[in-house]
Amino acid sequence: MDAYDVIVIGAGFGGPVAAKKCAEAGFTTLMIERSGIPGEKVISGLVIPIYGFLFGPEFIRNGNPPIERPICSVVNRFLKNGEIYATDKSLRVPKPITMGYAAYCKPFCTWLADKAVAAGANLRTSTTVTDLILEDGHIRGVITDKGERISAKVVIDAGGTQNPLSIKAGVRRKFDPEAIELYMIWDFEMKKEDVDDVFGHSMEFFHTMPEERMGAPLGYGSTLYFFTYRNSIHPGLGQFLITEGKVPNVAKLLKEYFDNFTSKVTRWNRDIAPKVKLRGTMWDVCPIYAGLLPKDRTMPYYTDGMLIIGDAAGFESAAFGDGVPNAWFSADIAADVAIDAIRADDTSKSFLKRYDERIRANPFIIHTISDTRRWDMRNVLISRDEKEHIKRIHDFWGIGAFKYKYMGGPCIKASVQLIRQNPGIIGEWTKMFQRYFDNWVNNRFDRLSTDQG
Amino acid sequence: MVKKFEDMPGVEWVEGTGEFIIVNVEKCTGCGNCIKVCLANCYEIIDKKSRIRSLEKCMECGACWYSCTEDAINFSWPAGGTGFRTNWG
Repeated sequence: MDAYDVIVIGAGFGGPVAAKKCAEAGFTTLMIERSGIPGEKVISGLVIPIYGFLFGPEFIRNGNPPIERPICSVVNRFLKNGEIYATDKSLRVPKPITMGYAAYCKPFCTWLADKAVAAGANLRTSTTVTDLILEDGHIRGVITDKGERISAKVVIDAGGTQNPLSIKAGVRRKFDPEAIELYMIWDFEMKKEDVDDVFGHSMEFFHTMPEERMGAPLGYGSTLYFFTYRNSIHPGLGQFLITEGKVPNVAKLLKEYFDNFTSKVTRWNRDIAPKVKLRGTMWDVCPIYAGLLPKDRTMPYYTDGMLIIGDAAGFESAAFGDGVPNAWFSADIAADVAIDAIRADDTSKSFLKRYDERIRANPFIIHTISDTRRWDMRNVLISRDEKEHIKRIHDFWGIGAFKYKYMGGPCIKASVQLIRQNPGIIGEWTKMFQRYFDNWVNNRFDRLSTDQG
Repeated sequence: MVKKFEDMPGVEWVEGTGEFIIVNVEKCTGCGNCIKVCLANCYEIIDKKSRIRSLEKCMECGACWYSCTEDAINFSWPAGGTGFRTNWG
C-alpha cells in the first residue's frame, strides 16, 4: 500500500493551497483529482473577491495567476418593465486597485495545482476517491476507483460541495436543500474592445421585483449578474432548491428568467446582444446558506485523521455566494494544523480541534457564513418596497457593504492582524495591485503546465 | 469517446462514468422533485416512480440528490477522468 503523510482530495481552489504548504513543510503529499485537468469540472461565475487576495496565501498575492479582468466597480441596475429606473454605482475603487478579479476556473485551478506540484506535492488526475480507509473511526487513508488503497497520516477533504466521502464515512450529512442554490451560467464571446466599452472594469447586477420574472426573488436566489472577462462575459442567475417550503420547478424557472431578460431588457438588446455570441451554458450548485441553517452549520468539519475545507465544509459566503476566499483561508489553516499534528504524532480529533479554533478566529470565515443580508432580502421583496430594496442593495453591493458591521469589520480586524505579523504587507498589496493590472494589460501570466508548445 | 450536444455548447462529456446516480425505487414516492431541479433532463416518471432516463448530459451538480426528501437518490462521483468537462466554468 502506498503511503503519504498527507492526502488532499480535490485540486480545485482550496486543495492545492493546502497541498503546497504541506509539501513545503517537507511532508510527502498527494493531491487526487477526479477530472483530467484541475478546474475543468469547477463551474462558477467567478469574480474572486479582493479579500481573498489581500488576506489569503502569500504565493497567490505575490504570484502571476491567470486572471480574466480586474474588477474595479459594481454597477447595480434596478429594472421595471425591462427598463432601468435606478442605478447604484457607489462601490468603486480607482485602478489599479480592485474589488476582485474575474477568472475562469480551469486555468486558475491549474495554476494553483502547478504551484503545489512545484513545491513537491504529487498530483494524480483522472482518479476518483471512492472511499476513506477507516480504522476504529479514525481515517487512515483513501481508496480510489482504481482499487488502490493509499494511506495517509492526515486526509484533507477539499472535494467541493457535493463531496459524498465525508457523508459515507458518517462525519457529515448532505446539505439541507434550503442551503443549496442551483445556478445557471452562460458564457458569451465578446470582443475585448466591446467589453471595455460596454462594461469597462465593472461587473453589473440587475435587480428586479418578482413580477418581472427575471430572477428568483433575492433571498431565494441570485439576482442576474454579469461578470466581465477579457474577451467574454459571463451572466448567471440562481435559485434555491426550496422556496416557501416547496421545491419549485427550478430547471424551468431559470430558463424562463433568462429568456425574459434577453427578450425584454433594453440594456441587453441594445448594448450587449448585438456584440456577443453564445459559447457555453452550464450549471452547478453551491451551499450558500449552509452557515445560516443550524442543522448544516453544526456539522463537523474535522474528525480523527481528517480535516474538511472550503465548500465541502460549507464555508460559502451567505451574502455573496463566493467560496474561493474561504477555501483559501481554510486550506491554509488546515495545512498548518496537519503539519503540527504530524509533527506531534497525534492526528486524533482532540488534536485536530485546533482547526476548529483557528477557523473561528479567522475574521472572514465566520462573518461571511453568518451574513444574513441576502436571506433578509426576501422580506423586502415580499413587501414590494422599492425604496427599501434600493437601500438594501446599497448596503449589499454598494458602498454600504463596507460598513463596520458588514465587511468593514472583518477587513479592519484582518488588516490589524496581518500588519502586526508582517509590517511589509502594505507594500506587498500595492505591488500586487500594480502587477496584476500590468499582467492583465499585457495578457502575460505564468506559463501553465497545460499550455501547448 | 467524447460526446457533445448542440443544445449544450461549451461542455463535453467523456464516456465511461458508470452508474453514479441510482434511484432506489423502493424509497421513491414519485414526487417529481428530481425532475423539477434537473437541468439536464436526466429523469422520467414511469409507473409513479422516478427513473434515470439518461445521464448523458448530467453536470454532476447533485440538485436531484439534495431535493429528494425520501433519500431515494444515491449520488457518487463518476469514474476518474469521465463525465462532463468545460473550459468555460
